[in-house]
Amino acid sequence: MKKIIKLTINGESVEAAVEPNRTLLQFLREDLGLTGTKHGCGLGDCGACTVIMEGRAVNSCLILAIQAHGKEIITIEGLAEGGRLHPIQQAFVDKGAIQCGFCTPGMILSAKALLDRNPKPTEMEIRTAISGNLCRCTGYQKIVEAIESASETIGSEEVS
Amino acid sequence: MNEYSVLNSRLPRIDAPLKATGLAKYADDLKFPGMLYATILQSPVAHARILNIDTSRAKKLKGVKAVITSKETGLIKYGVSPARYDETLFAHDKVRYVGDEIAAVAAVDQATALEALSLIKVDYQELPAVFDMFEAMKEGAPQIHDDYPGNLNAEVHQEFGDTEAALAECDLVINHTFLNKRQDAAFLEPHSCVAIYDLDGRLTLHTSTQVPHYVMRTVAMVLQIPVGNVRVVKPYVGGGFGPKCEATPLELSCAFLSRFTGKPVKMTYSREQVFLHSRARHQFFAEMSLGVRKDGTMVALKNKAILDGGAYTSFGIATVYYAGSLLGGPYKLKSMKYDGYRAYTNKPACGAQRGHGGVAHRAAFEQLIDRTAGELGIDPIELRLKNIMTAGDMTVNELDMSSLGMKECIEAVKEHSGWQNKKGKLRRGKGIGMACGFFVSGAGYPIYRSDTYHSTVVIKLSEDGGTAIVQTGSAEIGQGSDTTMAMIAAETLGISIDNVKVVSGDTDLSVDLGAYSSRQTLMTGHATREAAEQIRGILKRYLAQEMGCTEESICFSNGIVKFDGQPGNYDKLRSHYIKEHRGWTDQPSGEYLTFKEVARMTYLKDGTLVGTGKYKPPRLGGSYKGAAVGTSPAYGCSAQVVEVDVDLQTGEITIENMTDAHDCGLAINKTSVEGQMQGSLSMGLGECLFEEVKFDSRGRIVNPSLGEYRIPTALDMPNVKSIIVESHEPNGPYGAKEVGEGAIMPTIPAILNAIYDATGVRMNELPVTSERLFLALKKQEIA
Amino acid sequence: MLLPKFDYHEPRTLEEVLLLLSELGGNAKLLAGGTDLLVRMKLNVDRPSHVISLEKVPGLNEIIPQDRHGVTIGSTTTAANLAESELIIDRFAPLAIASSRLGAPMIRNRATIGGNLVNARPAADLSPACMVLSANLKIKSLNKDREVLVNDFFVGPGQTILDPNELLVSLKIETPPPWTGGSYLKLGARKALEISMVNVACLLTLQSADGPIVDVRIALGAVAPTPVRAFAAEEFLIGQKPSESLFKEAGSIGVGMCSPITDHRGTMEYRCMMIESLTHRALQQAYHRALEWKL
Ligand SMILES: Cc1cc2nc3c(=O)[nH]c(=O)nc-3n(C[C@H](O)[C@H](O)[C@H](O)COP(=O)(O)OP(=O)(O)OC[C@H]3O[C@@H](n4cnc5c(N)ncnc54)[C@H](O)[C@@H]3O)c2cc1C
Ligand code: FES
Ligand code: FES
Repeated sequence: MKKIIKLTINGESVEAAVEPNRTLLQFLREDLGLTGTKHGCGLGDCGACTVIMEGRAVNSCLILAIQAHGKEIITIEGLAEGGRLHPIQQAFVDKGAIQCGFCTPGMILSAKALLDRNPKPTEMEIRTAISGNLCRCTGYQKIVEAIESASETIGSEEVS
Repeated sequence: MNEYSVLNSRLPRIDAPLKATGLAKYADDLKFPGMLYATILQSPVAHARILNIDTSRAKKLKGVKAVITSKETGLIKYGVSPARYDETLFAHDKVRYVGDEIAAVAAVDQATALEALSLIKVDYQELPAVFDMFEAMKEGAPQIHDDYPGNLNAEVHQEFGDTEAALAECDLVINHTFLNKRQDAAFLEPHSCVAIYDLDGRLTLHTSTQVPHYVMRTVAMVLQIPVGNVRVVKPYVGGGFGPKCEATPLELSCAFLSRFTGKPVKMTYSREQVFLHSRARHQFFAEMSLGVRKDGTMVALKNKAILDGGAYTSFGIATVYYAGSLLGGPYKLKSMKYDGYRAYTNKPACGAQRGHGGVAHRAAFEQLIDRTAGELGIDPIELRLKNIMTAGDMTVNELDMSSLGMKECIEAVKEHSGWQNKKGKLRRGKGIGMACGFFVSGAGYPIYRSDTYHSTVVIKLSEDGGTAIVQTGSAEIGQGSDTTMAMIAAETLGISIDNVKVVSGDTDLSVDLGAYSSRQTLMTGHATREAAEQIRGILKRYLAQEMGCTEESICFSNGIVKFDGQPGNYDKLRSHYIKEHRGWTDQPSGEYLTFKEVARMTYLKDGTLVGTGKYKPPRLGGSYKGAAVGTSPAYGCSAQVVEVDVDLQTGEITIENMTDAHDCGLAINKTSVEGQMQGSLSMGLGECLFEEVKFDSRGRIVNPSLGEYRIPTALDMPNVKSIIVESHEPNGPYGAKEVGEGAIMPTIPAILNAIYDATGVRMNELPVTSERLFLALKKQEIA
Repeated sequence: MLLPKFDYHEPRTLEEVLLLLSELGGNAKLLAGGTDLLVRMKLNVDRPSHVISLEKVPGLNEIIPQDRHGVTIGSTTTAANLAESELIIDRFAPLAIASSRLGAPMIRNRATIGGNLVNARPAADLSPACMVLSANLKIKSLNKDREVLVNDFFVGPGQTILDPNELLVSLKIETPPPWTGGSYLKLGARKALEISMVNVACLLTLQSADGPIVDVRIALGAVAPTPVRAFAAEEFLIGQKPSESLFKEAGSIGVGMCSPITDHRGTMEYRCMMIESLTHRALQQAYHRALEWKL
């Protein structure tokens, strides 16, 4: 039986009826058309489906849509503001951290969840924060560089 | 100093903002009105006769729109190489591996489609199966294909010079064996497609593929419709690395289901199905002997390969040839002998994967070189340098090294890794190792025999003259080919990359064989350059006429036009342009005439401006059997140094440092080149240390998930010192050649050589898990 | 990969949970972080017709210090919260380290300690840590409360002493005495997203900075149908003066407790050898941390 859920997605409140067996990933992609969140495995193994829920990066393939009731969720579509890329997105573009791009939304959200809590992470902290996000294309190096660079940009923006 | 205004830079990729914002569309992101969802029924047994297929209950299920089996789709054989078409879309008489396709269903949603699958009843008569390549080739082994006795799918025998005689004359001959394991490409995006069959008999297939062209050809053949009625459109692709280089049962079933239902039909493989479909790296067994003189001069190489092909051929014929031909360089040899065998087994078919056919045998060869160096007491780098080829050299098997910065690569990694201070000086448990490799920059011949162009490109200027639209069938799969083509077009036209738009991956746009064998930078690059030159020629002709100057005096760069380096007297043209352009806000005002003005004025005279370019390689290679495989207009090469730390109490290996130098000719985009290098190394690291697709005793994959099939995480991969070596490749556009696959060649042997340096143990079986290394260390202790 | 259909319940109180459990029993599954349950349901291993979420039950996810004597950890406390908690890091190190090594950040943000224990995988990361800390498990059903030592909790792979109508409410752990150090080691192929091939937790207490070992606990995972304590090795160590060779010998005694299996991750032989290496190393680490003990 469907149940009504209300939640905030990228700052907007959303209300919908969902079956209990619908995952948050399916809900975002199929019901809301937010296809920036990717499906790579469905089992928590790859991180392509990463979204931020209540400030924490989570695998949306292992969360029921119904569990997101009352929660605040950020997906990749919610980062750019006023036609401008978020500094993390910009750094990914500038540093060549994107190849096929399939891991990118998840990577960027894991990076955001990290920087929101720890604005000046070490390389090890960055690598740990993205260790649940697999990338087969880049070897991670440019992704790590991008997150380092974004952390500097965000830091200097906040100071100025 | 960079002599180019666009090339050889670090421009951000043109698709990066779309991908960073999640707006880039991949196949599974597409949705069409009335779209149905499809699934495939796959065999649960490895080898069986199909006695009966009953789909009646599935057809009756509410929401099911079509159920198809070989009865509906026919039995047209297809595959990769026409010489070995051994697949039909659906198995009809036999299933040959766990995962072999039997039927497909289209329904209103995925849950219904899956339920319908469970209602299809198939009666099997199980047959004895064989899963091991050595067993498969033994007398009395179960026969997988009637036409291939002994399960011998392909064999190759090549010899250049008299190898036995040469070996007999050598001062030192060392034998070596090596065994890798079946691997998976583990791209992040599972295969997915949507087929839309119009009522007028035309099919549009949106699919996650590396090769829209070959998919178009295969689909047309299997559906028996004209090639011109099939349009394959590739959305963004989440990685391919080889296995997405051929038409899949997913694409063919969707096409049929759409034809039967008149609706768009989508199907996406589960991760498990990606493993079952496979088409990834073979398991290879290598047996090799290298003969050298006392002074380290390499003389002769004897190489034997056995490949576990799985149940079908896929790319296998090329694979078994590559395992031999790609050892011809980058060291000078007097003679070389190769014997290769590919066996059928009751497992998913293997195909092409990054470094196609070459990776395992390169690993064996580079270990053999280190062993030889050790035996002779020569530094492994010195031994390699002593035998290294340089530009202009030809391998024994007639591969032409038209450019080759191999020596420069070796010297670069030697210097940047601090080799001199480390080799032989590290404490037990720490080790340093190196290896080299090279790879083709595009296969010299298409997969099917034909005189076709390998790439054609159309560039069209927008009517306002402000944008060049590059139209190509080439496949952006993450490697950055769209950006490469945009840069080549911008450089050639003399405009900014912001004024170039690339439309790609669509068979309606141009002919392009696709993203495999590291071909697009060179081949599509040539065609792009030629198309841009054609447009530049048209504009110059127009200008010369209008300005009364010679075409040679005109130069386009950075969006402006110079006449003998000067602004020139273009008043008449500009005032004409301004008049014709009145009412618009972007009137030109600068000191120089702009590209845009010229393009607009030329359009007013001639209509839409289009340039076309084309490329096919010249006739390449020798005349012996199989000489085509391994030929290429150019070869990229690389050298790597790896440092490892081995935990002697557990056998765990940490890769501490990697230094990589790659000769890619002119680096069109340096950031992208480094990205390919680093990505290749991480794949090589995974294959060396973790990756293995495992089977149980009944041929079922034990680890068909990204949790149990382990690719490196961010914590397993170190930073790489990446050094770009730029030779000038005469056969490449602007001197460019490959980087996407060659970069993986040295990784595995460099790690293995470093492990040897750290422990004194020669690992010749992959993956080098902590257990495998620890047990080897124990054995060493006892001995 | 679709989830099968089920009815979803979101009780607001502990009593409601217990009531639902008593009504639905075997047909229901509790949902904590879902990182085991939802995977098992997707793979068709579990097919409950009712799923009862623990999320809205107040107080279940708290780490509550018990005035210096110990801590109570609610069963839905996540691995991330355990790994980040100052209290757990300072006084219950094996649990903090084990929590920080479970899966990857996104998994840790959801995975709960209750789910980890109840799931009862032989290779689970948190079980050995709880065992060396001698956690007491508080278990409730509609008409029965009981406390069980974590050592007595596991029955076999995937099996515990819990009845279908019972809920694991919390864990109570006493603060280890002064001069105690703890450690946790995990052996696997990758450095993240890895199920242990062998894991070891140790807790070692000295009489004083240069005194003998007065108490030691060693627990091993992925080496038997359930995580096990290496009692023989513990007995061997108690009363002894710490030394390199002592720890090494304890490692080889540790193997005696184990009956690992061969599977696709590793063979029995290798696992046995690793029990020895890792126990030795974990004891060393625990000893060094004990020396650094501060008030
Ligand atoms: C990608 C991935 C990686 C992982 N890596 C690791 C790892 O490295 N180490 C490791 O140990 N585990 C790992 N796991 C397994 C899993 O994350 C852990 O076991 C986790 O702690 C389970 O907690 P949960 O809250 O998610 O459990 P759930 O899935 O919610 O529940 C698990 C089981 O416990 C029952 N249950 C939950 N809470 C209670 C309770 N309070 N009372 C009674 N029954 C209860 C549920 O009904 C269910 O049967 C991994 C899982 C994934 C998907
Ligand atoms: S899709 Fe969720 S982790 Fe892979
Ligand atoms: S960019 Fe392709 S998986 Fe990361």
